[in-house]
Amino acid sequence: MAFDSDFFHKFAPSALVFKAIIWAIAADFVLLAFILLRRNYRMRYFRKRDRRVFELRQQWDALISGEIPFESWRTNSFDRRIIEDIALDAFEAAPADESARLLRFLRAAGLIEKRIFEARTLKGWRRRSALVALGRTRAPEGIPALADALQDRDPEARNAALRGLGRLGSPEAAEEILQWVAESGLNVPALPLQNALINCCREKPQILLPYLHAPPKLREVLARVLGEVASSSLGADLIGLADDELPELRAAAARAMSNAQPGHALEVLAELSRDTVWFVRLRAVVALGNLYDPKALPHLLQALTDSNRLVRMRAAEGLVDFKSELASIFVQVAKTQDRYGLHAFLAALENAGLRDTLDAEIRKSLSLSSTEVHELLTILRVGKFPGMQVAPALETLQTAAPK
Amino acid sequence: MIHVLDFANYTLFWYYFAGNLVYLIALLIALKTSAAHQRRVGSYRLRWITESPLAPPITLLAPAHNEEKSIRISIRNLLELDYPELEIIVINDGSEDRTLAELQDEFKLRPVRVVYVPEVPSAAVRGLYRSDADPRLLVIDKEAAGSKADAVNAGLNAATSPYVCVVDSDSVLERDALLRIMIPVLADPERVVGVGGIIRILNGSEIRGGHLTRVRLPRKSIEVIQVIEYLRAFLIGREAWAQGNMMMVISGAFGLFRTDLVRAVGGYRAKAIGEDFDLVTRLHRHLLEKKVEYRIKFVPDPVCWTEAPSDLKSLGRQRARWQKGLLDTLLPNSDMLFRRRYGRVGWIALPYLWIFELIAPVIEIGGILTIVLAAALGVLSREFFIQFMIFGYAFATVISMGAVLQEELTYKRYNDWQDVARLVSYCFLEHIPYRQIHMFWRLQGLWQYMRGDMTWKPLERKGLQSTAASLPGAPR
Repeated sequence: MAFDSDFFHKFAPSALVFKAIIWAIAADFVLLAFILLRRNYRMRYFRKRDRRVFELRQQWDALISGEIPFESWRTNSFDRRIIEDIALDAFEAAPADESARLLRFLRAAGLIEKRIFEARTLKGWRRRSALVALGRTRAPEGIPALADALQDRDPEARNAALRGLGRLGSPEAAEEILQWVAESGLNVPALPLQNALINCCREKPQILLPYLHAPPKLREVLARVLGEVASSSLGADLIGLADDELPELRAAAARAMSNAQPGHALEVLAELSRDTVWFVRLRAVVALGNLYDPKALPHLLQALTDSNRLVRMRAAEGLVDFKSELASIFVQVAKTQDRYGLHAFLAALENAGLRDTLDAEIRKSLSLSSTEVHELLTILRVGKFPGMQVAPALETLQTAAPK
Repeated sequence: MIHVLDFANYTLFWYYFAGNLVYLIALLIALKTSAAHQRRVGSYRLRWITESPLAPPITLLAPAHNEEKSIRISIRNLLELDYPELEIIVINDGSEDRTLAELQDEFKLRPVRVVYVPEVPSAAVRGLYRSDADPRLLVIDKEAAGSKADAVNAGLNAATSPYVCVVDSDSVLERDALLRIMIPVLADPERVVGVGGIIRILNGSEIRGGHLTRVRLPRKSIEVIQVIEYLRAFLIGREAWAQGNMMMVISGAFGLFRTDLVRAVGGYRAKAIGEDFDLVTRLHRHLLEKKVEYRIKFVPDPVCWTEAPSDLKSLGRQRARWQKGLLDTLLPNSDMLFRRRYGRVGWIALPYLWIFELIAPVIEIGGILTIVLAAALGVLSREFFIQFMIFGYAFATVISMGAVLQEELTYKRYNDWQDVARLVSYCFLEHIPYRQIHMFWRLQGLWQYMRGDMTWKPLERKGLQSTAASLPGAPR
């Protein structure tokens, strides 16, 4: 293939490239100058800030008691930011009486009003900062401004408002969040929403119930919240949820029952432990274990033969928790002749460090014949039922297990 | 002949220009997105995640091979990470030294029978151990299979969390690294399937008890140049590619994935040379073929500090291996190129890797040879040569300075004035002759791959122990 030399020269570096070289060299110098100047500026800023933080810390009691007039610092944004930061950090870790004192100070100094104003009027990251700071104050007068921000078009601002409301931790904040999700649907990530609602609904989980008729996706989210916050005060409502068509809601009901422990929990949980959906069974089995009631043992033993390995694992953990009855439980486990169940039980036993305890219990058991004792100890030692064939992978693990 | 040389020289010029232009665009994107990220994180309170009862559990997978010197410190460091629901699986990958014994002594291990379902292929497991000192710690003792991928797969089989985070056991994670890497997941759990954090160079910094106490720039030139390379690769490259959901590598030293998806693609490919790149490529392929809406994200502030090679020989071996890994993944996935179903990954990301990463050493070294040849034959245009040199140098320096600027604007890990001055000066010094040597190593990697030489000699590392040993009061 022949090339025409003009063809190359058309693409050769031209005068434009010379300009580009100049630009590139200039850019190097600008970048360098910017880095050095910025570094210098920041060094001075932090030095000044550090000095001022120290001074303000020295006068802290006088500052929050109003002995130093608020007017003397609140118009200076540099001082105001430092004082607000110190107050909010202290607020997060303060006991109740100190929190009340700090809240009085934040109100009297007008810092809360200022944040409310900023949360309503600013845009972008400044609004987000104001919303988070407002949430950190836990002042109920911040609720309307935070609730307004839930309508923001910027998803980050909505998230910040949600986190702020969650931080307030009051049923009033929960009402605002619930009304908003009921109207606008699930347009924030589930986790911050759930966290916010968990914080706000702990005192009064009943406020969630009217919203459980929301569309399925939102119902799932609310169901998980309910699972975390449910208490005995929900009683009969929980039993109603256990029959719900949405598996997430049944699972949440199961989870809630272990917290609520209403009278009929065992019966309902036993029913849910035979559910068609594996995670409902899982929740029910965990809840059954948490009840720590000997009446739950047959259901846990049945769950030990479940087709789902997570359900088997949790059932085994629940069984192992009955430390005083390990030998009799092991007899029942052996009777199931389910090798997966046996494996799960032994795994849970070893994780709990109770293998030797069970060994000793079997040996001293009066209700077992010597043949039974020998058989059970063999099962415990080799990890399989007599005459059972095991898969090679399982065999490897069994040989690795302690003898 | 003259025409051929002319053609080669101009091609090289435009190739350089295009490569740097892509990086310049990436720099502008990265500056914008990292500023937005900084502001977003500013409105997050990481402590609120630790308090959440619904924070998704994470399993940390830490493969270890012959790491008796540093294993105690590294695992203690992992156990001290801030995250509410954490499981740590250390995989002793057939170590021939006292790695397992050190773990047994320090963490009171006892053999257990946990659920281990061999869903992804891995060498035989010799035993499973749970720590009595901290029940979150599980140790898998397995036969060596000669690859990190195989060890990670064993961990994957025992993992019980919806997310797995793969870490190098000789690296140091910052205490809040897991909280930070989870931010994209918590913001969009439905779509985010993988998140990469930033890897920074540990050499020169001070470590006490497995924790980084003071960040310093390394002393050796070769290490400082690697710092700039890492800044450029992570703070510009990955930040920008992730914006377009085209990030092709999540570093094997620190990356988070959805467990079910890693299992669905068959785990790590045990024979892969660059197992991290290979996994992310297969994830892209799997999800694009299934037409699933997904995101693979990069977060620039959860930091993992790792030791970089400190001599030319080790660095050369590492870079040759990376190049082999690149080819080893790009070749089997070449069917993804320019195919509609693979979207921008097939049309932009993979072609970029082929043109500007894989064949870069061939073009650059070939270009240098043609310049030398043209000069020898007396047909080299002096004007062209000078313009080419100045332009290439100045443009590349802008990119390096941009990376340092990005670091300065956002994360500011190097606080010492001296460090910054050295960092800036190396932006001007790294291009000659390091870049040419680097290209040679990469070419060597390609050549080794073509010859079928897949051997891998582990890098010489000093380990966390030795970094700490020089300090008073450093624990054993």
